[in-house]
Amino acid sequence: MSDLPAQTDPILTEQLVAYLDGELDAEQCRRIEQRLAEDDGLRRRLQSLERAWEWLDELGASQTSESFTRSTLEMVTSAVAKEAAWAEAEAPRRRRWRWTVVASATAAAGLVGFFSVALLQPDPNRELIRDLPVLENLDAYREVGDIEFLRMLHREGLFAQEESDES
Amino acid sequence: MGDPDVRLMLEVRDGSAAAFEELVLRYQDRLITVLEHLVGNRDSAEDLAQEVFLRVYRARKRYEPGAKFSTWLFTIANNVAANARRGRARRREVTLRSRDSGPLGPRPLDVLLQVSSGQIPARQLDKAEACDIVRLAVAALNERQRMAVLLSKFEGMSYVDIGETMELTPQAVKSLLSRARNALREVLEPYFQSGDHPTAGERMPDTSAE
Repeated sequence: MSDLPAQTDPILTEQLVAYLDGELDAEQCRRIEQRLAEDDGLRRRLQSLERAWEWLDELGASQTSESFTRSTLEMVTSAVAKEAAWAEAEAPRRRRWRWTVVASATAAAGLVGFFSVALLQPDPNRELIRDLPVLENLDAYREVGDIEFLRMLHREGLFAQEESDES
Repeated sequence: MGDPDVRLMLEVRDGSAAAFEELVLRYQDRLITVLEHLVGNRDSAEDLAQEVFLRVYRARKRYEPGAKFSTWLFTIANNVAANARRGRARRREVTLRSRDSGPLGPRPLDVLLQVSSGQIPARQLDKAEACDIVRLAVAALNERQRMAVLLSKFEGMSYVDIGETMELTPQAVKSLLSRARNALREVLEPYFQSGDHPTAGERMPDTSAE
């Protein structure tokens, strides 16, 4: 039964265990040893912890057999050999897959590049097609010589009428 | 690089099968000791130990020398044991099997707890009974407490090394070990208060009537 104050018991027990384990620094050791010298209950607690720890020796250490060593080494060798064989069998498939990915990525990049250029760069042919009606009558329009007059005629629908006649 | 086992592992990294065999020989007993007391079963402990060695070998190319090889090895062991525990939990297997009958009778853990609480008096024990008592006391700890106790007791690891193995701070290890060792003390105290520590081959005289 502990006669230590309940609220400090876990902390003191921690210090006692750490003291037994050699995990306290010099100052902490000095303080706990001073308390142990003054406190019978604390000394009994320390001895009790120490004895319980010694009782763990009853568990004993395991002794493995030669057959365990042999089977362990065989198991590791076999597992590693299987993994190497699998890796070798998979190598052609992985190479093909890598080439497929590279080829697909290249083709995709090419398509993206082509369409990007196509969208971003103006098509001179498109401009020509759009301007074809003007080009076809350029000589006549030059004779007029006044762009505002031409725009007025366009607003009056003169050129639309001509276009519908031609179609 | 003062750790000879680190040098051996570097030889394994460079392809030496003999170095790997030497590491297995050096660590198999230690590893199985900790694992057996952790999982409570020798066969399972051997299976887990082999898994640990397999992982060590698989990781050989990536091995970077740290302070101690043993800390790295037992970190793997802790991870393997934790994975096995999760697997058992999913399969609902009973891992810490109490014997149906033994020196403490049909329900040894109940007897242990009753003695610990003072409900029934402790009596002196022979060696087999003492081993049973201690085994059950350790089994009554939770897995983290048990691992910390076993690493401290059987591997002599410092709090820093235990923390590295179990991914805990040294303060967390200190608290964990304190709770574990206090729990062991509470369970075992009635027994060592009832007489001297049993020695091999002897049965202590029954002094309870004196």
